Amino acid sequence: MIGTNSRTSTLVAHDLKKSYDGFEAVKGVDFEVHRGECFGFLGPNGAGKTTTMKMIYGAVMPTGGELEVAGLDVRRSEREIKRRIGVVPQENNLDDDLKVKENLLVYGRYYDLPRKLALQRAEELLEFVELTEKAEAQVDQLSGGMKRRLLIARALINDPEIVVLDEPTTGLDPQARHLVWDRLRALTVEGKTLVLTTHYMEEAARLCDRLVIMEGGLIIAQGSPAALIEEHVSPQVLEFRAGPEDLESLRPVVEAVSDSVERTGEALLAFTADADALMERVRASGVEVENTVYRQAGLEDVFLRLTGRRLIE
Amino acid sequence: MGAVRVPSPRGAFRVWQRNVTIFRKYWKSIMFPNFIEPLLYLAALGLGLGAFIQQGGINGQSYIQYIAPGLLASNAMFAASFESTFNTFVKFEINKIYDAIITTPINVEDVVAGEYLWAGTRAALYGTAFLVVLTILGFASGEPLITSLWAVLIPPMLLVIGVMFSVMGTLFTSLIRRIDFYAYYFTLVVTPLFLFSGIFFPVEEFPAPVPQIAWFTPLYHAVNVCRELATGPSSAVLVDVAWILAFTLALALVPVQIMRRRMIG
Repeated sequence: MIGTNSRTSTLVAHDLKKSYDGFEAVKGVDFEVHRGECFGFLGPNGAGKTTTMKMIYGAVMPTGGELEVAGLDVRRSEREIKRRIGVVPQENNLDDDLKVKENLLVYGRYYDLPRKLALQRAEELLEFVELTEKAEAQVDQLSGGMKRRLLIARALINDPEIVVLDEPTTGLDPQARHLVWDRLRALTVEGKTLVLTTHYMEEAARLCDRLVIMEGGLIIAQGSPAALIEEHVSPQVLEFRAGPEDLESLRPVVEAVSDSVERTGEALLAFTADADALMERVRASGVEVENTVYRQAGLEDVFLRLTGRRLIE
Repeated sequence: MGAVRVPSPRGAFRVWQRNVTIFRKYWKSIMFPNFIEPLLYLAALGLGLGAFIQQGGINGQSYIQYIAPGLLASNAMFAASFESTFNTFVKFEINKIYDAIITTPINVEDVVAGEYLWAGTRAALYGTAFLVVLTILGFASGEPLITSLWAVLIPPMLLVIGVMFSVMGTLFTSLIRRIDFYAYYFTLVVTPLFLFSGIFFPVEEFPAPVPQIAWFTPLYHAVNVCRELATGPSSAVLVDVAWILAFTLALALVPVQIMRRRMIG
């Protein structure tokens, strides 16, 4: 549950709204991010996550409600807020005319960092994101994962209190993604507040202390990953795969002993607290099941339960 | 939100400084065309066409002497116009450089002002190099092209002239969504200014309303300023300088507001 202690909260939104020419991208959201935590925004495309992020770093001005970042009003103190946060954008916008280290040094000047301090931080940050060997490389020679790490280093050049990351690992291969996760966890250990958006449930589950799920410009659920799973789905999942007819005849059997059942294209998902009892019943029913998978319920189940299985576009 | 946005000098300086950093890396390879173009005009028109201009030239000057200072002004116009159109568009819409800058304590308005200053700087740099060449060429050929010490004021004036054309170019940039539209700007604005601002012939001798129309255009005054400073100014130059300053100041904040609205949703 979201608390209301302003001493520990560094980001507070109240009935925050944004509309563009009649289209309401964010329809009134409330959230509070505590100092030092990793806070996630999950949601399908078009849910209003990026718009919310942009309101935090001043690229979009709210059309209604309140938003305070580091105790400052986003409408009145945009420069001061920007001085105290770091931003990792969704799209790569590194300066291609500058080399890797120069990107950090020139960025440091935007914050008026003294040259010596900027140089020292740039070297430490390249070390931190494992790009020291690429310091003198051109930006366009970097891989996608390296560019993302450089964006993270760039966002840290001003030693920000809050780091805002919009889909930090989208488009990265698994190795690159794990490295980014590892670095982001290191930041939370240092005490930085992270605010991120993601499509990846695994990412949210691994990194976020608390998160909100957005859909259609509204927050539809919030809490820690574990609390969300506990609140919205039963802890165990059995996935039964079979032909369409068998699945239909299996359905009433499963429904009788499960907390809830979902049908996907080729499988029946049963959520239960007692998988053994369910398996027993399915075996006894005599319906032929090709394949059964047992797993723990996860954030993805919560997400799909709340936002639906249809494709949202 | 409705308030007029005014740039911060500090932010504008940082944006200007970024451009300087990059220019210092590449100036040797990018300066050449800007530099050679006015020399081509000077050779083709000043020497080529000039040979057919009757004895006595224009206002007592040979044709090449007449056109050389005007080319300083048009060179500044071209430098600042390219900077504030194609170069700015690429930084803004394609490379998303400004998106990155405005997440720092630098605001959109500072970015625009920094780009004005940079375009002015670039115009002044190219113009100064060209001025040196004109001076040397003139004395070497025995037909001086720059004859007044007042010419030392040409570089700072080229900075102002560059800023003026940057404001115009940035205004156009702030209004368009496709890079192809610059063809309109160059064909309908820059080229007519280049041809009808008194560089190649005195517009004052045309029947009305041509001189009157010319008076309301920016390059006309820039050409007057450069020509006067190159040959020894009369007090009339103050009117041209005042015109340039007034026009620039009146227009400068307009692209700032449009870009701000375009970049901050």
